[in-house]
Amino acid sequence: MSGVAMAGERPAVRVAGGNRGGEGQPPVVSLRGVAKVYGSFVAVDALSLDVRQGELLCLLGPSGCGKTTTLSMVAGFVEPSAGTVLIAGQDVTELPPYKRDTGMVFQSYALFPHMTVSANVAFGLENLGVPKPERAKRVEEVLALVELDHLAGRFPRELSGGQQQRVALARALALRPAVLLLDEPFSNLDAQLRVRLREELRRLIDSIDITTLFVTHDQDEALVLSDRIVVMNKGRIEQIGTPQEIYEQPATRFVAEFIGSCSVLEGSVRAGEFVTRGGMRLPVPGAGDTAVEQALMVVRPEQVKPATGAGRVPAFAAHVESSSYYGAMTRLRLTVTGEPLLMEAHFPGSKRPVAGDDISVEIDPSGIRLIPAAQG
Amino acid sequence: MRVDPADRALAVAGAMVRPIVYVGLALPAVIIVAAAFTAGDSLRFPPEGFSLRWFQAALASGPFMGALWTSTQLACIATVISLALGLGAAFAIDRYEFRGRGAFRTLTLSPLVVPMVVLGLGLLQFLSWLRLNQTFVGLLAGHVLITLPYVVRTLSASLILFDRNLEQAAANLRASPWRVLRRITLPLLLPAIVSATVFAFVTSFGNITLSVFLGTSRSITLPVQIFTYVEHSYDPVLAAVSALVILVTLVLIIVVEKLVGVEKVA
Repeated sequence: MSGVAMAGERPAVRVAGGNRGGEGQPPVVSLRGVAKVYGSFVAVDALSLDVRQGELLCLLGPSGCGKTTTLSMVAGFVEPSAGTVLIAGQDVTELPPYKRDTGMVFQSYALFPHMTVSANVAFGLENLGVPKPERAKRVEEVLALVELDHLAGRFPRELSGGQQQRVALARALALRPAVLLLDEPFSNLDAQLRVRLREELRRLIDSIDITTLFVTHDQDEALVLSDRIVVMNKGRIEQIGTPQEIYEQPATRFVAEFIGSCSVLEGSVRAGEFVTRGGMRLPVPGAGDTAVEQALMVVRPEQVKPATGAGRVPAFAAHVESSSYYGAMTRLRLTVTGEPLLMEAHFPGSKRPVAGDDISVEIDPSGIRLIPAAQG
Repeated sequence: MRVDPADRALAVAGAMVRPIVYVGLALPAVIIVAAAFTAGDSLRFPPEGFSLRWFQAALASGPFMGALWTSTQLACIATVISLALGLGAAFAIDRYEFRGRGAFRTLTLSPLVVPMVVLGLGLLQFLSWLRLNQTFVGLLAGHVLITLPYVVRTLSASLILFDRNLEQAAANLRASPWRVLRRITLPLLLPAIVSATVFAFVTSFGNITLSVFLGTSRSITLPVQIFTYVEHSYDPVLAAVSALVILVTLVLIIVVEKLVGVEKVA
């Protein structure tokens, strides 16, 4: 993933229509202390969360964190070792997949190769016993929704990856399920298409206002698409919050490092200042007299700026270790008082620093985030 | 691009072997069919003159036509039973963890490994102990046994490659397990099922060793009939019968090809 794309998709420029699924809405999916244990491996560990009516909730984490297992337990493909799964208030823990009101888009799309596009979409309606004329109407509607009505007679193998994804989506939506489940739906597409299709997906989901549970390992995807993000690691929830909360106020070191790039500095808090191991002193707004022996400070690369010399915030002498040009910005690896620090900034003209330069930088204190070391 | 000497050597060897294989496979059939049209009295190639009289003789022959009917009946019933058992066995091996799964898999394939004569002798003993020797049921049981490995093998290979996500997707679309099987799993396994059917039928139809051991005077199969006939006479009626068998097999293959496409079956 290029740095340009990352900078362009930060929360500030979200395509999303804001928080639709607000607080106070009833949960459509509830997981209560759900766990899955394979032998001695705990895939999901006593996980509890609610997917609220109308929201797009994302399970985000590295591979093996338990996010897909969690999704499979909602769909009913995996039986929980403990806990309860509720869909629309009904306990479905014991119900097989075909008795649950979910619509799933698989990572591989799983389109039926021996059926045409319209037969794929009609399959679920047939199973529900929807009469033929009504079925044909619904298939036509949902194919028009994903703009594939002109390909109704094609077979899946005759479609591009993006078209297959939309058929899979149409097939899931045709049943008007209580919750839409998406398992890494963009991972089989190339980078450019991925960016375009996720914006389209968000628009589509907004337009039909369906509750959605979405699984991805891609932090950009999660930030752009979600109303709320659940960051998972080793079968547990690290943090639940809006994309902005997750990015700007990470609760743990894992969250900070997994979402976007950042520098994590170790040190202690004394007299309203954060003092790093190497002796860098940073003012901590609102810290007062609290003293913390061991703390971590998260500094996002865009908060590190060339020093202005105005003196409002302290400037530091930095040595440039490497410099990479990304067009819209330049990414620098710096060392400040012996500690590594990442910086992303735009240097107009020919002032771009190169490896070996010594420059002066300052850190914008407004967005820095302290994490107690115990939670790191 | 540079050509690897090893690749070159293999390509040349392949080009040389190919005609031998084609000729070796096709020639016996061509010779037999041609010989069947002879006007003379002895089985000889090239044939002397042209006539259909040996075909008439073959079709009029009670023993040959009876044996052809027995063989066809036996192969059809054995194939159906073998498909039912083999489908169950292949699913069990592919989808369920159970004690002795590896042993079960080996066992279903073992009739391929045990020499047919040993199998025939063993079955003869076993069936007479069950008081089923010299019966059509006993013969049928033997044929099911030798066709089963082909069915299990073919279906297992196909099941391993089967995308289970498709079944999950169908279940997610509210299809009950029975509907998933009928609408998704079986239709997608159809090429393998057809392939297994052809293997099983041909194996049963052409088998001689087992049929010699287990056959009865009232259920003599065509290969056994041809074999015993050759012992005392050697005339063109044999060629005519063989030509008829080749014709039946060709028709079968063409029908299969029209139904599902042979390239999918192979």
